[in-house]
Amino acid sequence: MLELLTIMSYLGAAGFNTGPQKPPLYLDPGSGSFIFQLIIASLLGGVFIVKAYWKRITAFVRKVISRKEDEPEE
Amino acid sequence: MSAVSDYHTDSVLGGSFRDPSGFLFERDGTLYRQINRTYQEDYTHLIESGLYAALVEDHAIISHQEVEIPAPLPEIAYKVIQPEKLAFISYPYEWSFSQLKDAALATLRLQEKGLEFGMSLKDSSAYNIQFHHGRPVLIDTLSFEKYQEGKPWTAYRQFCQHFLAPLSLAAYRDIHFTQLLRVDLDGIPLDFTSRLLPRRTRLSPGLLFHIHLHAASQRRYADAAAVSINSQRQVTRAALLGLIDSLRSAVSRLEWRKTTTAWADYYQADHNYTAPALEHKKQIVSAYLEQVKPGVVWDLGANTGVFSRLACERGAFTIAFDYDPGAVEINYKEMKSKKESRLLPLVQDLTNTSPGIGWQNKERSSLGERANADLLMALALIHHLVIGNNLPLEHLASFFHQLGHWLVIEFVPKDDSQIQRLLRNRQDIFTDYSVEVFERVFGEKYLIRQVEQIRESGRRLYLMEGR
Repeated sequence: MLELLTIMSYLGAAGFNTGPQKPPLYLDPGSGSFIFQLIIASLLGGVFIVKAYWKRITAFVRKVISRKEDEPEE
Repeated sequence: MSAVSDYHTDSVLGGSFRDPSGFLFERDGTLYRQINRTYQEDYTHLIESGLYAALVEDHAIISHQEVEIPAPLPEIAYKVIQPEKLAFISYPYEWSFSQLKDAALATLRLQEKGLEFGMSLKDSSAYNIQFHHGRPVLIDTLSFEKYQEGKPWTAYRQFCQHFLAPLSLAAYRDIHFTQLLRVDLDGIPLDFTSRLLPRRTRLSPGLLFHIHLHAASQRRYADAAAVSINSQRQVTRAALLGLIDSLRSAVSRLEWRKTTTAWADYYQADHNYTAPALEHKKQIVSAYLEQVKPGVVWDLGANTGVFSRLACERGAFTIAFDYDPGAVEINYKEMKSKKESRLLPLVQDLTNTSPGIGWQNKERSSLGERANADLLMALALIHHLVIGNNLPLEHLASFFHQLGHWLVIEFVPKDDSQIQRLLRNRQDIFTDYSVEVFERVFGEKYLIRQVEQIRESGRRLYLMEGR
């Protein structure tokens, strides 16, 4: 489990941005949870973007197919 | 309303002291929230960005009015608001599986909506959600903070502990694990959850990430502390949306599957009534309800809520309590599908009711402290408590008396087949259990207003008024 986490941390690090970061205010996010979120968020963000594009592509393909089906045969 | 404010005479609510943004207080029987100056910028953004109005329109947040009354702590106060009144405050350990799941999904929708308006939830406690008019709503107006581009979601761990952990344990192990929320006020620890879940849950991406690897990361980085937290690394908005989307699909996939036969049994009436007897019982209960016209009804031992609905249909806000999470689940699903806004099904074991818990046992109130019923219904219940749990009738009478003024109670005689079933494997030590003793004992706490014998049954229905 920990090995997988280490590999993921390297994968995730590729997507990290840098910039100023204020410490959280009242709720302790927990250091392990905080670091873990940094690791997986980029990965899940990537999946999210791919999913969004995939939805667009399938919607487009469906639209094209339905348009063809609607066209009267010559 | 007090002309002069006094922090010491206002009753500050036990559960609202952690967040420095403000606190709840009660004055002259009305609930208010002081917003502190430290939250001024966030509150202004909540209102001016249009997020508050959008959430109110979606029935996703409790509405409030800004009021001009003296603040309890004026030196740090920015505003005082009066939130819309809730009919009842319930807690996650009193919810059925689908209630907890709906509250989880509502929290994720709030976070997503917040991001659209440049805000983010700074906490994601299950206690911030309440069922209002049948829907899960956010009751903590001060939960949103201005979103800082790149900042990770501070409440991620809390969401996993308060929602994902109990839901996954209930779905993959046993529904009774939701009761652990009563033990750990800040949700179920993830390392504990990870150890308890079956190995096959590692094949589910949502649970692999948010429970198992999350717990491993907590173990690994337990001592990393401030150095890492104050690192320069960021989570982009797309990454944050990906995290929320992943949590949503993890929660959505969790189902509590009882065996088909177990669910089917619930639809078989668990009683020994003939059809005319059941119809007669409904008529008597309806007549009693119409006579009293209660505003709030608590149906104790409500099962799937057949009789609770008689109260709702007559305009009463009704809480249908049952100790069986399966019955409450069915009741909640029916309530949702029929959009019954005046019904609240909740899990409650009457022999071990919700205690006061948290700091000084005051953060979450006991069931007794939340008692607000005008009328209690205890139908086909007392034999389970007296015979099944050895509870003396005197104790029952005073327990009911503390919870509500009126009482509709069914007396089940000892020769009833249900009682004979309870006594099948044990000695009958209940020599005092008779209708005469029942009437005498309850007569000490109540005036018996009406009694009706249920047709084709030895059972009786009483309407009693508290002395």
